[in-house]
Amino acid sequence: MQTDTPAVSTRGLTLNYGEFTALQPLDLDIGRGEIFGFLGHNGAGKTTTIRLLTTLMDPSGGTASVAGCDLAHNRIALRRAIGYLPENVRLYDTLTTRENLRFFAALSRIEDARDRVEEVMEFLGITDLADRRIATFSKGMRQRVGLAQAIVHRPQVLFLDEPTSGLDPMGVRQLREVLERLNGQGMTIFMNTHLLSEVARSCSSIGVLSHGQLVFHDTIETVNARYGSEEALEELYLSVVPDREVAA
Amino acid sequence: MTPSTILRRHALAALARERTIALVAALFAALVLVSAYLGWSATSTVDAIYASATHWFEANGKPVPPNPVTQGSPLALLRNLTIYISLIGAFSAIVIGYRMVETDRRAGVLPLIGARPLERLDYARGKVSALALAVGGLAALAGVVGAATLAILPSVHLGPGDWARLAAFFSLGWLYMMIFGLIAIGASARARSETVGLMVPTVVWLVLTFVWPALTGNILPTAAINPISALAPAPQSAIFDLSANLLGPFSLAEAYKYLGAELMGYLPDGLPPRGPVPPLVVMMLFAAGSGLYALRGCLKLDMTKGGPDA
Amino acid sequence: MPDLSAIPTIALKDARIALRDRFLLAATLALVAAALISLITGTVAMRTDVATYMAAKQQLLALGKSLGSIAAPEFYPLKLMRGTIEQIEIMGAVIALIAGYRAAVEERGRQTLALILTRPLSNWQFLTAKLLGGAGLMATALAFVFALCAVVLALGSGIGIGANDLLRLAITWGASTLYLSAIFAVGFGLSLWLKSPASGLLYAFALWLLVVLVAPQIGDTMDPDNQVAGGVFAQLSIPKAEQTRIKQGFATYETIRNGIEVSSVTKHYERFTFAVLGIKDIYTGKALGPIWADKKGDAWFLILFTLGLGGLVLLRPIRADRLTKET
Repeated sequence: MQTDTPAVSTRGLTLNYGEFTALQPLDLDIGRGEIFGFLGHNGAGKTTTIRLLTTLMDPSGGTASVAGCDLAHNRIALRRAIGYLPENVRLYDTLTTRENLRFFAALSRIEDARDRVEEVMEFLGITDLADRRIATFSKGMRQRVGLAQAIVHRPQVLFLDEPTSGLDPMGVRQLREVLERLNGQGMTIFMNTHLLSEVARSCSSIGVLSHGQLVFHDTIETVNARYGSEEALEELYLSVVPDREVAA
Repeated sequence: MTPSTILRRHALAALARERTIALVAALFAALVLVSAYLGWSATSTVDAIYASATHWFEANGKPVPPNPVTQGSPLALLRNLTIYISLIGAFSAIVIGYRMVETDRRAGVLPLIGARPLERLDYARGKVSALALAVGGLAALAGVVGAATLAILPSVHLGPGDWARLAAFFSLGWLYMMIFGLIAIGASARARSETVGLMVPTVVWLVLTFVWPALTGNILPTAAINPISALAPAPQSAIFDLSANLLGPFSLAEAYKYLGAELMGYLPDGLPPRGPVPPLVVMMLFAAGSGLYALRGCLKLDMTKGGPDA
Repeated sequence: MPDLSAIPTIALKDARIALRDRFLLAATLALVAAALISLITGTVAMRTDVATYMAAKQQLLALGKSLGSIAAPEFYPLKLMRGTIEQIEIMGAVIALIAGYRAAVEERGRQTLALILTRPLSNWQFLTAKLLGGAGLMATALAFVFALCAVVLALGSGIGIGANDLLRLAITWGASTLYLSAIFAVGFGLSLWLKSPASGLLYAFALWLLVVLVAPQIGDTMDPDNQVAGGVFAQLSIPKAEQTRIKQGFATYETIRNGIEVSSVTKHYERFTFAVLGIKDIYTGKALGPIWADKKGDAWFLILFTLGLGGLVLLRPIRADRLTKET
């Protein structure tokens, strides 16, 4: 695997549904080890972008690579290199946490699946949930198991779609801490979110998507330097996204 | 306008826009036409066989028996309708009944309706009357196609009594479909998941159509969907006597087919109904029971649940 | 050589879920109940025939008359499987549809499909695993059905069954597994492809009505002998030779009737199994060789239909924009 290439790189990545353009040609580079916050109004195309980058959908045009693996020609290797946590993940209700994680670890074809599952559960503080069935879990507990399956195979790039959606403030804080620790181990994180405060606290770079078009992309330092405060991010967001999208 | 009228109108308008309902109704209409064709085709074939056999009887100097087709009522031409109403008609009613409540639940409007100044009984009335009209539409569709077929065929002549019997037959079909539609309303109102709401009435329908007749009279599944073969007498045995007595009163599909055959004039001579309870009473009891089930489901409906995650 | 380890991993996960949520148990019990009801009522009916024959025989012997005037009923235990086969055709098909729907819902509504498809495996491997899991489920449920039927036949028919009968039951089990696997693929495919899985189930039911019930029903109803109670020829008392001559005059009609019947996979399954089990009179007591020669067309239709449907499910891409739709 090449390590000098960006973690995520797209050139003219597009998605059309007939006449409707869900994603306008997207040029984006995210460096390795970054935490990238992807902002945008509802329906801006954030989830679509993640689905394209995780091979779940095929683009109408353009190229992309993740962890140096080409989206069009090296899908299996790409899937080896990524972890994915969709919004509102539910997992298999009748299986326990451990069974769910072993299943996904096996599909990721890692050698030490059993040991690794125990390690990840300990890392996320969910060992006490190991033998409980998912059906009985709260949203926050489900989210932690969901995150465990996303990192069980030590991915290089982790894609998170609205990971804080539905979590209480404590859950949001725990998630932030976990992501910082993962990032500290060198994992690149690509996160869709609505929460400007989370982006300001956790992310090293941000992108803003409006109507399927990338209207802003820079490092958080530049944003802070240019606007001078945390509230600046809100100002920036409002300045690049038209009013009606904010309302949406 | 009363709340139940508003709910009924809304339910019917929503049904009219649903592609699935349109598809099921189109399937029903197509099969009604097919059944009319089958009746005509089969009757002409038996006529032709009879004509061919007549030559043989005459050539061999034997007495010519009467034509089995002309012995029965001309309405018997439409005997396949009994089966199609019990198959696709009942299934359509299940789909309609199930959509009545499920559409509200999926759209997340149950809490919005629940917070309006109306009684649960209004909700039940609105839904049941919408079902009655929608199923009435299906029965009327079948009635028009059936009546047109009989009116067009030159060899068929119906008297006023026959027309009255035909009208009674379609009313019976409406009642039969309603029973399953009402069960579907009750089940989808009470079910925890969308699937269970569809599955419960479907399983009831399958068991009554294919399993019950085997128990009461050794009627195998494929015979159960043949208008003639379904009307076979039970084997003469103490076990079948007992099962017919015990289970016959619950054999709704058999009661319907028996009554249908009686009205359309193709009931075999001397065939007794299955079990001690008259078929019409069986149907009425089922209609009352399913009505109560639908009503109870609507009255106990959890109005707090809604949206695709419900 | 691609790594195929994902296929058993997913299929075993499905098996574990099926065992845990008791669906396998419920499906098997429902099928066993439907099959045994028909088998037992058939056995009771046969015993009634036997009792009637024995009573008539005693009466004739007491009167000192010959037995030639009454025909002895046939005692072929496998013939009693007719109701069981018909229940598998109809009720079994519904269970298979629901199993297919569940296999799709298990992955779609919970987002687990997205999680699986972002793992290093090809989509066809995932679909193959699901289809094999379904076929395994059907094979297991049917194995119970046929094993129990064999026991009931051995004990209930009063004649017992031999190795050849068991072989015929095993062949029928294989054909039944193929048939229900094909129906499973329909339920699974539609529930995976359509906008919501519940719509998939609804459309699958509509297809089931047409393929399993209506097409064979039309063919059966068009049979002139089914137009009149007891059969038209029997009612007119026409001898067999003359019946054959008359039937020849309706060759085109018969071709159309047959054409409608054979458009349904159900009819091929029925014709093949009725021949193997000797349910159809002309195959009763016949060796398997001649039956295969006669019925291999039906067997091949069943095999190719199942493989074709499976192939269709494998080839059709999975639409990611429908992954999140709830059940």
